[in-house]
Amino acid sequence: MATNEIQENALNNMGVDKTPFAASMLFPLFRATLWGLTGYFAAAWITALLFHTVIVNPLPATVGYVVGLICWLMGSGVWEGWIRRAFGGKEAPTYTGIERYFRFGPDSKSTAVRYVVLNIVTFFLAGMAAMAIRIELLTPDSTSWWLSEIQYNQTFGIHGLMMLLGVVASAIVGGVGYYLIPLMLGTRNVVFPKLLGLSWWLLPPATFAVFMSPTIGGFQTGWWGYPPLAQNSGSGIVWYVLGAATILFASLLGAINIAGTMVYMRAKGMSLGRVPIFVWGLFAAATILVVESPATYTGALMDLSDMIAGSHFYTGPTGHPLAYLDQFWFLFHPEVYVFILPAFAIWLEILPAAAKRPLFARGWAIAGLVGVSMLGAMLGVHHYFTAVSDARMPIFMTITETVSIPTGFIYLSAIGTIWGGRLRINAAVLLVLMAMMNFLIGGLTGIFNADVPADLQLHNTYWVIAHFHYTMLGGVIFSWIAALYWWFPKVTGRKINEFWGKFHAWWFFVFFNCTFFPMFIAGIEGMNRRIAIYLPYLHDINLFMSISSFFLGAGFLIPLANLLYSWRYGPKAEANPWGSNGLEWQIKSPTPYVPYPAGTEPEVVGPNDNYAAEAKEPVIWVPTPSK
Amino acid sequence: MNAAKENLWKAFRGLVVFWIIGLAIGETLMAWGIGNWPILGSIQAHITADATTYLLWQAVAIYVLVGGAVVYSAFRFRASSMSDTAAPAYQARTWAPFVVTWLVLAIGINLANTIYPGMVGLEQLWGIQLDTKNPLVIDVTAQQWKWTFSYPKQGVTDVSQLVVPEGRTIDFVLRTKDVMHDFWVPAWGEKKDVIPNEVRHLFITPTMLGTTATNPMLRVQCSLICGNGHPLMRAPVKVVTPADFKAWVANNSF
Repeated sequence: MATNEIQENALNNMGVDKTPFAASMLFPLFRATLWGLTGYFAAAWITALLFHTVIVNPLPATVGYVVGLICWLMGSGVWEGWIRRAFGGKEAPTYTGIERYFRFGPDSKSTAVRYVVLNIVTFFLAGMAAMAIRIELLTPDSTSWWLSEIQYNQTFGIHGLMMLLGVVASAIVGGVGYYLIPLMLGTRNVVFPKLLGLSWWLLPPATFAVFMSPTIGGFQTGWWGYPPLAQNSGSGIVWYVLGAATILFASLLGAINIAGTMVYMRAKGMSLGRVPIFVWGLFAAATILVVESPATYTGALMDLSDMIAGSHFYTGPTGHPLAYLDQFWFLFHPEVYVFILPAFAIWLEILPAAAKRPLFARGWAIAGLVGVSMLGAMLGVHHYFTAVSDARMPIFMTITETVSIPTGFIYLSAIGTIWGGRLRINAAVLLVLMAMMNFLIGGLTGIFNADVPADLQLHNTYWVIAHFHYTMLGGVIFSWIAALYWWFPKVTGRKINEFWGKFHAWWFFVFFNCTFFPMFIAGIEGMNRRIAIYLPYLHDINLFMSISSFFLGAGFLIPLANLLYSWRYGPKAEANPWGSNGLEWQIKSPTPYVPYPAGTEPEVVGPNDNYAAEAKEPVIWVPTPSK
Repeated sequence: MNAAKENLWKAFRGLVVFWIIGLAIGETLMAWGIGNWPILGSIQAHITADATTYLLWQAVAIYVLVGGAVVYSAFRFRASSMSDTAAPAYQARTWAPFVVTWLVLAIGINLANTIYPGMVGLEQLWGIQLDTKNPLVIDVTAQQWKWTFSYPKQGVTDVSQLVVPEGRTIDFVLRTKDVMHDFWVPAWGEKKDVIPNEVRHLFITPTMLGTTATNPMLRVQCSLICGNGHPLMRAPVKVVTPADFKAWVANNSF
């Protein structure tokens, strides 16, 4: 096993700090906020002073954001936990108690819990933006008592960007993945624990900036940020660009950890053939981020440069806006696979344990996950068939349609696993089944957008809105909630309330479909996206969608209450409540700070999905070999 | 094992019945939906709608086959409760006939879809464009947030209403003065982005008389976010007979 200093430290610290929560533990959070805001205003005002402008202008907003971000990171604990030591100073102690949840640190489990909290908060706020959109669309005219057209455009831009980068990008990868990846691979921590810790602390300022962008003028472009509209419709685009680039960089740090941990940190006997399917899903997602995200956040920063530095990459008489589209979609199409591949892997991780069957056609399932991630790199152009030359249409249509073949392997594997099994359906499994049904619609309707002739009509209509909500909300968020329910005992030692879990699953499924299925019809009927005002002949269908969406939105209070209540008062769970053979369930719940004591290592001796009656335990515990 | 196998074949027969019922219901609903399709006002609209409706028939079939298998097997192979932890006898890790059938169908459907409606539709659209000898040229200028149309050969300039004759292929020459826009008449079944510093062409052959007032699908609509005036960046459309078009040109040219 790798023995970097962090792990040595952790091993020596087996006497875990049991101090109960005290308000003083929140100190790093307050300090980070204070330093961050001070840094932002100081830098923005000084820049405004030097350039004889005001702080809401693009340049001061940019400088302020960068300085504020660095100050926030220092305040969160990066200073004494990392930087001070790099310059020869004393390193901070390793925090093993509750206070590690509120400061920068190398512990992957507390980082993952912070991810869950951030995702829930962001989901709530961006969900409120969605409600605001649907209120505006209750009537066809300009609903001026509610939102102006400018505010409406800002609202859907924030909703889109935050739901994508603030929620689904890190919901499963961050909250579920970073918690489980060391436990599933049989190691005590990820390969670069400090980078992983840093990845979370980059997110709050980035999401805060995007939500606050209306205060400096907002942005009108939606979450695409297409030039040249980006440069002439409000300074808020600065925080859109910087927020998006920061979050992409943070997910890159996580991706390096996923890939590195899977390659270098597996327990003895954990051959690639025995790596849990969920880790394969994370790995497939990580490869996408490592290869493709730099091109896209560079493009976003070039967009910013056109605005503050006077360059003309995309704007002006010599600018080439299509180049931005190429760079933007180079990551942002595959990015949806970063969202959905871990969700696929969640299905395939949960179903064998629930059905007591081995994962069917496991090799094909892995080929599906990796195949999607590889093909995904080559097809971003299908997002702008209406903008490209004819020569680019056939090739990108063909590659895009090919993605459905590896995607199908996931369904092949899932159906084969359930078939002939004895499926125990709890709230998590129910949500997984519903996610499969929703994503099936999302995937099949994607073929229409891949097919150029159909796409020339359906592009940028409500058809597309319905399509990607079926994949993102119907696929990823259903799976995310399923994963939170399934691994809840691992994190808290308690179970969620099954009745309210299933009740909400059905509520969610019904109102999700009532909200988004009519959007396919609205798209065919000629309703284009991103409009606050639509023609009266579309009123009835919009009314129906809006009212359904209010029920859908209100329903999310049920799992929120369920998770919060069960965290404190839920029924106590045994270490392995679902009878799973997964390595993460073979240790204590809730996971101790150091998952297994010093001197002990797991050794994997069999597949983790063998549920036959006479099957052997897949893991044995061995003493750590001496160096 | 033998008994378990027999049981699974029996389950499969149930799935086949489930599929047949599902296909009958699904495709009937789809037939009703396609019967209520919005108007198709050009040859191009027929081509793109053919692609869409074909894929709809197919999507319903795949949804029933795959989704039906998920629902059926989850229901048929469910355990009585969470505490019922006995493992089933059937523990096979793979079954080649199923995998091979799946693989062949997946690759086959993909190849078929790329050819039809994908390439066939594109070839038809390109064919109209290439075969047009003498298209009616209309210059379209997009700006925040209005459309302007000029008919260079007819001497009609800067009108805010799009008047076109029925049955003649039109070459829309698309330019923008500021940001990106998208020229779209929903009833004509195709759209094209208008990009700064570039000129784009869209070929449309209207086949149906009508105006925006009689059918709102017949309107020019900006379909790419272009700022706060985006939803109202529309223009009325009037498709008239060639004779009426001549008269309109005579009244509006200089």
